[in-house]
Parts: sequence; C-alpha cells; structure tokens
Amino acid sequence: MNIIEEIRKGKTGILIAGNHEKIIQSILDFDFLSGKSEPSIVGIVSGNRKVQKFFFGPREILLPCFKSFESVPDVYTERVSWLLNLQSGRRVFDSTVVFFKIFPHALGAHLFAENVPERHATELIRLFDKEKLIAGPSGVGMIVPGSLKLGAIGGTDPAQLTASHLGTTGSVAIVSTSGGMTNELIRAVASAGKRLSFSISIGGDRFPVTSLTDVLLLAESDPSTSAIVYFGELGGSDEYEIVELVKSKRLTKPVLAYIAGIIDEAFDEHMQFGHAKALVARQDESARAKRDALREVGVDAPETFPQFLERIHALSQADFHDRVFDIGALMERHKSILSTRNIIDLEEVPIYVENGKLTDRPRNAFAAAALEALLDREASETTTAFVEAIFELLIDHGGNVSGAVNTMITARAGRDMVSSLASGLLTIGPRFGGAINEAARAWIRGVSSGDSAATFVEARAKEGVLLSGIGHRKYRVGIPDPRVEALAQFTTLLKKHPHYDFARAVEQVTTSKNGSLILNVDGIVASVLLDILVEVDGFSPAELQELLDIEFFNALFVIPRTVGFIAHFMEQKRNDEGLFRLPDELLFVRDSGKEKKHRK
Amino acid sequence: MSRVKLSEYRAKKILLGDSYAGLSIRPEGDDVMPTSGTWVAKVDQGVKKRFKQGLIVVDKPAAELAASVESWKGRGFTQFILEPFFPHSPQEEQYFSMERVREGIRVLHAKDGGVDIEAHPEMVKQYLIASTTDISMIASTSQIPQAFLERCLEMFDKNFFAFLEINPLVIKNGEVHLLDAAVLVDDAGAFFTDTWNNADLVESKLKHPAEAQVEALAATTPASLKLSIINPDGALFFLLSGGGGSIVIADEAQLLGAGALIGNYGEYSGGPTRQETYLYAKEVLGVMLASKAKKKALIIAGGIANFTDMKSTFSGIIDALREVAPDMRAAGIKVFVRRGGPNETVGLAIMREFLTKENLLGAVDGSDAIITKAVDDAITFVRV
Repeated sequence: MNIIEEIRKGKTGILIAGNHEKIIQSILDFDFLSGKSEPSIVGIVSGNRKVQKFFFGPREILLPCFKSFESVPDVYTERVSWLLNLQSGRRVFDSTVVFFKIFPHALGAHLFAENVPERHATELIRLFDKEKLIAGPSGVGMIVPGSLKLGAIGGTDPAQLTASHLGTTGSVAIVSTSGGMTNELIRAVASAGKRLSFSISIGGDRFPVTSLTDVLLLAESDPSTSAIVYFGELGGSDEYEIVELVKSKRLTKPVLAYIAGIIDEAFDEHMQFGHAKALVARQDESARAKRDALREVGVDAPETFPQFLERIHALSQADFHDRVFDIGALMERHKSILSTRNIIDLEEVPIYVENGKLTDRPRNAFAAAALEALLDREASETTTAFVEAIFELLIDHGGNVSGAVNTMITARAGRDMVSSLASGLLTIGPRFGGAINEAARAWIRGVSSGDSAATFVEARAKEGVLLSGIGHRKYRVGIPDPRVEALAQFTTLLKKHPHYDFARAVEQVTTSKNGSLILNVDGIVASVLLDILVEVDGFSPAELQELLDIEFFNALFVIPRTVGFIAHFMEQKRNDEGLFRLPDELLFVRDSGKEKKHRK
Repeated sequence: MSRVKLSEYRAKKILLGDSYAGLSIRPEGDDVMPTSGTWVAKVDQGVKKRFKQGLIVVDKPAAELAASVESWKGRGFTQFILEPFFPHSPQEEQYFSMERVREGIRVLHAKDGGVDIEAHPEMVKQYLIASTTDISMIASTSQIPQAFLERCLEMFDKNFFAFLEINPLVIKNGEVHLLDAAVLVDDAGAFFTDTWNNADLVESKLKHPAEAQVEALAATTPASLKLSIINPDGALFFLLSGGGGSIVIADEAQLLGAGALIGNYGEYSGGPTRQETYLYAKEVLGVMLASKAKKKALIIAGGIANFTDMKSTFSGIIDALREVAPDMRAAGIKVFVRRGGPNETVGLAIMREFLTKENLLGAVDGSDAIITKAVDDAITFVRV
C-alpha cells in the first residue's frame, strides 16, 4: 500500500528525539483540531526529564519522556510509526540508526537539523532510502491533512493550520526543497481554493535521504493526488530526475514547477545561497537551464513567481468538504505554573457518626498513640475517633494552598524531602493552617466571658483582630464545607456542647454580614474538640488553658498535613519538575512611588 | 552545511602526510624560507586560474622566492605555499578527481596530459566507488597505483571531503606526484575531525566587515543567519527570511530588471531570537546607510514562516531601526514589508506602528499579499 494511504488509515504514532516546544505543541494542536481523541505523539526521548507538559486542546497533558530509544517501554512500541528527529546535526546520524534498529517496523522519519554532514546523509541513504520515508536532513517535514503532521510544516500557530485548511484532504501534492516555501505554497494552494493531498519538504541539503524521485512516485501512486506543485532552486540536479520520470512515463500526473535562482545571473561569480545545495557548480545546475529542461518534457515551469501562483488556479481538484477547525478553544489557554496530583478526594467525606453512634470505621492505633504522646494520658474512644477523623481530613487540601506551594517550589529547586517539607511547614501560621489554637482560644474566651456572640464579634472587630476559625475562600452559606458538616456530627455524641454552640452563634452573626464568613475547619475542630475533652475526658479549664499555651491544637494540623506536603514533594520528584520561576505576566512590578528628581 | 575550500597546503598535508615536503607561509607564522634547491611558489587562497594571473612561479632558486612572495603581498594576498620543483613533461600530466554523490564517490580520470576536461568530456573516464571493493577495478583500468587510491578514499571519508581535484597528477616510476590539488570539505564535518579547522578554509573573495560580523554571530546560534554584500552602493537592501523565499524575492528584482540595484543578499531563518535578529539587522542597516545610491529602500520580506516568530524577530528589527531612524529619514529611505507566520498579526501591527510613527513607512503586508509585493513596491519607489 502507498505509504501516504497507510498514514491516512492511522499509522501516525510519533516518537520525538530532542526538543522543540513549539513544533511539538503544533503537532498536538493539529491532532486536536483534526478531531483525534488522543495525541499522535507517543513520547519524547530527551535528556533528563520524565514528563513534559503540553496542551491537548484546551487542557494540559503530560507527555512521557524517555532517556533513550532503548528505554521506551514495550507498551508504547506498537504505536511508534515515525521518528521526529529534532536533535542537532551532530547527533542525527547515530540517533536515526538506533531508532530504526529498535523500531524496525516504523515507516520513516523527519530529520530537522541543518548541518548534517554529507557523509552521514549518504550513509543514511545507503541504509534506508529503499525501505523508509525520510524527509530531510533539513526542511520542515511532512504533512498529510487530518492525519499526520511530522515537523514544523504548515506552521506552528493554530491560526496558520486553519488558514491552510490542513484538516481537509485534497488533490494537490506539494514537494519542495525549501521549508519556508513549502509553507508558502501550502497557503497559496488553499488560497486558490484547492486542498492538499500531502506535502513533503525534502530539505535543501545536497543529499536528501528520500529523494525527489521517491516523493514524486509517491504522489503518482497516491489515489488522492491529481496534481503536483514543485518548488526547486538553483544548484544540484534534482530537476533532471523529474525530466527523466516524465520522459519514461513513470510520472504522468501534471507537474507545476517554479525553479528559483534567476538572481544568480546578476553576479559575476556563482553565489552560495541559503540552502547548502543552492550553489551552481555546473552550467546545467542554473535555474534557467533546469527550467528549460523541464519545459522541454512538458512540465509547466512559469517564468515569474506571480505567474506560477496564477497557474495553481488551473490545477484540478476533486470535490471536498472542509473540516472546520475550531481554534477558539486553543486561544485562551494559559500554562499552569505548578502541577501536582489530587492527594485525597475531598468530594467524598466519610460519615463518622450516624444515628448518635460512631460508625464502624477501620480503627487506627496511630491516632490513639499520637494523642497519648501529646497529652501524656490515654484519650477516650470519642476523642481518638475525632482526632483520627481530623488526621484523615487534613492530610491535604489541594496544591493551591501556600504550604503546598512552598513545598513544591522548594522541591523544584532541587532540595531534598526534609528541606522541602520544612519549607511547607514553616508557612503554617495565623493565616494558613495555624489557626486551630487561636480558634480554641477564642471559643474558650467567648464561653467563659458569658458575652453574647454579637458582643463578642463586635469587640473583636473593634480590636481589629482576625476572627480565627471563621471564613473560607471557597465555601460560603449555601455551599457548606463538607468536612465541617461531617465533624459537626460528633456533637450528637455529647450531652452539652457550649463551645460548639458559641462558635455557631458567632457564625450566625458573621454570615449575616458576609456569606463567606462561615465556620471553617479550624473553627469546628477547635470547638468540638474542646467540648469532647471537657465532657468525655474530663479536662478542667486550667488543663484546657495549658493545652492552648503549649500549642496542642496546632499539632492536629501539622501532623496530617506533613503527609500531604510529602506527597506533593514526591509528585514533583516523580515528574521531574524543573526549577520554578514565576512568569512575568503573573508578577506585578510596582513603581517605587518616589519621584525622580531632575537637576536643573 | 556548505562545501568550502581547504587551503592547498592543508589538503596535501592530509593526503600525503609526513612525506609532503611543501611549506606554508601565513601572516601569523614565523616562516623559515628555504635556502637551497629549486621551488614552486603559489598563492594559496583558493584563487582560480592562478597561472593566468601570475600567482604561480615555477623552477625558482630558493634565493628568489622571497621577491615573488613580497610582490604578491603587495597585491593583497596573505597565504602562500612553497613546494620543491618537480621536473616533468606536459605529456605526463593526468587529471584526477573524486566527488561525493548520492550513490557513493564519483571518480573522474583522464590519462592524457594537459587537457581541459570541461572542453573534452569524451577523454574523461568516470567510475563510481560504492564500496571499497570497487577500488581494485579502478586501479587496474586507470593504472593509478591502488595504494594511492586507497589512501585517497580513506582520507576523503575520514576528513569529510566533498570534492578532491588533482590537476595535474603525475605518475612516475609508480610514484604519485600531486602538482596541484584542490579540496572542498563539508563544513558540517568540522565537529568530527581535527585534521582541519576554520583557519585552513580559504575564500577567494575578501569579506566585507558586515559579512564577517554576521558570520561570527551565526556561529553562536542554531538559527540560520547569512549575509552577502553584493553592491555596497546598491539601492535595494534586504532583510529576508527563509532560504527559498529569499531567492524568490531576489529573483523578482532580477526579473524586473533591477538586479543591478541590489545591495545585499542574505537571510535569517530557523527561529532567531529578538537579540540575534537585532544584531543581524544592525549590520544590514549599516551597509545600507553607507551606500551612496541616491534613493534607497529597505525590504523586510519572506515567506510564511513555519516556526520563526514574527513578534520577536520584528521586535529585533525594530530595535535596530530605532537606532538609525533619524539617519534613515534624512536619507529619504522607506521600508517595505511582506511576511507571514506565527504571531503575524502582532508582528505586522508593531512594525506598522513603528514605521508610521518614525515616518519610514513604505508598505506593510502580511500573508494575504503575494510574497513578491514588498520588493515590487520598493522597486517602484526607488525608480520614481
């Protein structure tokens, strides 16, 4: 089967060697716009990362990275049909040879680098030119609309992919030595109301692995292609391959060609132009000689570029229906600056107490042992169950919170677990996680003063201090915090719960001002635990005061959250996240405010 | 990326090894001139047709060499080669060349001495070395010693040669003499070999300082930056992008009969950064401002880029334009733009805004205009 047909039937898995973020992203955009459910890119063989973040449509994905072709796991092997080799000219030869040794069934490759030595290119030709389709060295790769984008070809901006209608299969094949002109012609064909069957940029090097002849024969045998547009330059003798193919009738589809390089006639000496091959070494390599030879066998080779573009309109094109690329979804996307896992699922908070009884949950001796260690006495079953519930609920609250962020940033700076953990723990304080103790102090003060909640709130407001245990950024009246509701159930195990009642009364006052000033986890933990300690474990007011002084209540946050921070640390290491730097657009740099004085 | 010429001295040193008795004279070397024997002296800077230009002297006693070298130095040449004179008759001269082609290495050989091989292709025998086993056949047919062919092939491959020409080649008593040798190396091979380096490459043409600057800059980036000054007093100066697109645009000037007005050719491509584009543009602008042409235009043009970012490259060009905007205004220069690619809308907008504000605007067009529009507009402008 024609290899272009195999691509259209789904042989499109790409393994990438080296890194070029824009090109890789453009392939993912092409896949998404073409309606694929998953990226054609299987993974990236590149240096020292384990995964790399890209967008697939509007959402971020992680592409797996491998150290070498050898270390690509077997599960991926089957999907690999193509190599996109983005490595430097020095490394292209070795890596390409290794790739085909490990993936002998792969169909081909694009070698992006310029500066691949001629000797390496001719050796690649000897090894592969009969079996594989290899675009390059140099150039921008190949594209089969809606199926495969192997390289920068067609553009790297979603708007370019749309403008050139690269989701629609058409009848015109484009072949070019020049990468830039490949794209120019892709757009010209679309603007002329035609669509692309496929395009291969064979590259401007002297020895392209897959030759012009091979590509033209592909176009000849491709059932979708009905005409060929070719862009060539002065230098080399590729165009005589076309002449031979037409003469021998191996190429029968119409060819429209532009051979650039008439400018060389303006100079005394032949000049080396941009591409390696673009130097006239013999008279028959001049643009004019090649144009004449093509015209002699009936190839349409116009004199000027504007005439050439005009002639594209005359090419035949079968009926087509454009696949509309909706790029709206791709325009407003923003890169995340941190990435981590959902450590615990807060959507499903367990039921601890039901019908006035502790539910049958697995018992963890850790909570009991921890309480005994902290309190220097054995705690009641109720207290143990409550603390166990706290431990479970407070392990993590997502990667957004300051302590987790600091842990992750420190991990990404290359620090070890204990340093990263310490950085997270040192963030705990009055505004983050360290408010349980302060909330307990507030409830004790409120209950012992005998003041009403309203008076209490008013007094705190006058002092200008923050009400610990009250307020949430995410939850509000009408959207209750499920953790608070679950913990509140513990009060049904008690005869009296004055601290809890006071806390709820305070909440009544504050939420009447602002719906987000609800009782939060710190507040509920402090109030319910105070009531349990008093009623079930028989703590006296003096003993409670001592617990406040020695910061017992904050320990109930620090202990479980240590687990969460470590989990975030491990995620960073697992995914090999690199050094963090805040993007410029997320940092507001203020003027100093001082007026600069000018000397008169 | 390109085939470049090796000095004759280095070429022969590689081919012949220690048995080569030639001497190299370079500006930086403490060269010792020979004191006895008869010698051949030549300019070794890749110049063609040296005999006709008087850049070779033959059968000279050692004492007279310095005078020849001094006279060449007076003509601006700096690199020379001295070789012991080898007496032979023109009938003994043969032609031999090797060139890397797609299928292997093509060997051309003509036994009859002193022929102009381009004028007499029928006298030249052609062989192909696809594997080392082909050598014995070539040796027996051509009567070139097999050991010499093997040595040539080994050195050709090992040193990333692309083309080797020995003309004349003299074989006497089974010994091979290379009277004149020219080698083109593949400059992409420089990384893999230590037998030659940049100092061994010769250029027949003196470099314009701007070309040298761009060459030095290009060596520090994976992007492609090229500049050739064609006519320092030209009227059309180009900031072109893309290897193919740049030729199409230059072609258009030639086809419109404006080839003689072209000041420079060159291109930037492969995604240069804003800073790299700035440094490149600065060189072109310098040459343009120095040109004595009465009416000048700057053409910023190229195809629709695949991945070169228009916002950052145009920002770099604007950085360079800003520095010389008053001089450009004073010289009545206008700027004509046609370019497409990633970030096209923003790139065109900042360019249009800048050129309008600085009163330098000729025209600004994007990918919906034809690639040749900017050069067409500029030619119309300079001809009025």
